[in-house]
Amino acid sequence: MTAVQKRIFINKLALVFSTLSAVIALAFLFWILGVLVMKGVSALNWNIFIYEGAPPGYAESGLKHALVGQLILVGMATGVGVPLGILAGTYLSEYGKNSKLANTIRDISDIMMSAPSIVIGAFVYAVVVIPMGHFSAWAGAIALAIMMMPIILRTTDDMLQLVPGTLREAAFALGAPKYKVIMDVVYRGAKAGILTGVLLGVARVAGETAPLLFTSFNDNFFTTDLNQAMPSLTVTMFNYATSPYEDWQQLGWAAAFILSMFILGLNILGRLILLTRKKGK
Amino acid sequence: MASIIDIKEECALHVRNFDFTYKGAEAPSLKKITMPIAKNSITALIGPSGCGKTTLLRSFNRMHDLYPGNKYEGEILFDGRNILDPKEDLIHLRTRIGMIFQKPTAFPMSIYDNVAYGMRLQGIKNKTELNDRVEKALKDAAIWKEVSDRLKHDANGLSGGQQQRLCIARAIAVEPEVLLFDEPTSALDPISTQGIEKLIIELKDRVSIIIVTHNMQQAARVSDYTGFMYLGDLIELGYTEELFVTPKEKLTQEYITGKFG
Repeated sequence: MTAVQKRIFINKLALVFSTLSAVIALAFLFWILGVLVMKGVSALNWNIFIYEGAPPGYAESGLKHALVGQLILVGMATGVGVPLGILAGTYLSEYGKNSKLANTIRDISDIMMSAPSIVIGAFVYAVVVIPMGHFSAWAGAIALAIMMMPIILRTTDDMLQLVPGTLREAAFALGAPKYKVIMDVVYRGAKAGILTGVLLGVARVAGETAPLLFTSFNDNFFTTDLNQAMPSLTVTMFNYATSPYEDWQQLGWAAAFILSMFILGLNILGRLILLTRKKGK
Repeated sequence: MASIIDIKEECALHVRNFDFTYKGAEAPSLKKITMPIAKNSITALIGPSGCGKTTLLRSFNRMHDLYPGNKYEGEILFDGRNILDPKEDLIHLRTRIGMIFQKPTAFPMSIYDNVAYGMRLQGIKNKTELNDRVEKALKDAAIWKEVSDRLKHDANGLSGGQQQRLCIARAIAVEPEVLLFDEPTSALDPISTQGIEKLIIELKDRVSIIIVTHNMQQAARVSDYTGFMYLGDLIELGYTEELFVTPKEKLTQEYITGKFG
């Protein structure tokens, strides 16, 4: 074998192995999705959206409580996490810039992003649940908001920095005060990117179980009382799936399917927005 | 020794013993600049890269203040006041001294909103007045015919030359007294460049213009006065015809004949 033939051989070998690895990785993904769709779709029916939780063996049991609870928890977390994240990101990009403080905040937020979510749950348990004396929707939403904030903060920071400096200068040159420059020109220029960050941030926390386990806990019944434990799809799924009852396990699959589709939808929407923005340029 | 002509007509701005030092720099980037800027005329600033012409231009509307740590010394007199005074109201100053940048800077909003932006900042809310002034500004910037049927469209859909004229419309809509042009055609094709140059000449009836350009022919074509700068010094300021034909300084002559730069 000549040196050239040897190189061609190694090249082919590398190609075969990397393709194989990609196929194996994708196979697992589609396997998971396939099982989820099969088990999930067969478990779906209208009762799921009409009835709340019931003891095993009852035909009239559903996930209404968990669906509504999930929306309330994620909605509240979004209401807190998005404005805080966007404002903090604005500080970093427009005011802090490359100062020590701004870079420290960036580092801390990167660390927070990779913090184990159960640790954040434990933190909220210690500072919210224990002083209140009981689980609550508030505590769950706070835990989710804490997880969401660094994601939105970083994407906002990155997206604002992509807006050309000359655009800011042009607005200043017309006599605009700084807050006007940010609101009218910088935010507008980064609109699609910020929105994508928000969607991805929401999608990221919507699938979390650990931070909810000992903050909003769970409940098998429909409730909108924010001062009480609040059911969520993820914790309900965890409880139902680990139960020995066939019908509860079915509901667990349905919950898994609905949650995955919701998160998949958010992710696709986020990517579509980014894509149309790129095409527009 | 610099050769600065004595301008007989009324002046819009007087630069006196002006030093400018960038943050962290040991030596000033502009050294003891003294120059008058004639009213309702076009003054071009030429010189090799790094000579300080853009730095000088950006001092007239205190653009350097956006980046903390820069230092102004000396005086730039405008309307009898030194605009380098730390107490100067920069928002008001920038409505009186407008600026056009090298690359077109259309805001991510509609054509109409772009032109109305400066007026809205000044608190003009009356629809009819806004409409009239947007139309007038676009007409004055010679772009009305091209955009009159799509004022609500995104300004980023316009070509580079159109965007630059839109930026000029936006700047003149607030009726400034001075307009600063920072190499306004260096990102444009020759035909758009011609259009912008024609526009600049037409505008001088209403505003005093200072234009920084890399292109000596452009300075010769549009300006009444030309200043030649080199390494942070103003070497010569003279009538454009005289400076290009019979420069008083040896450095100016070497530059305009292409010996360096």
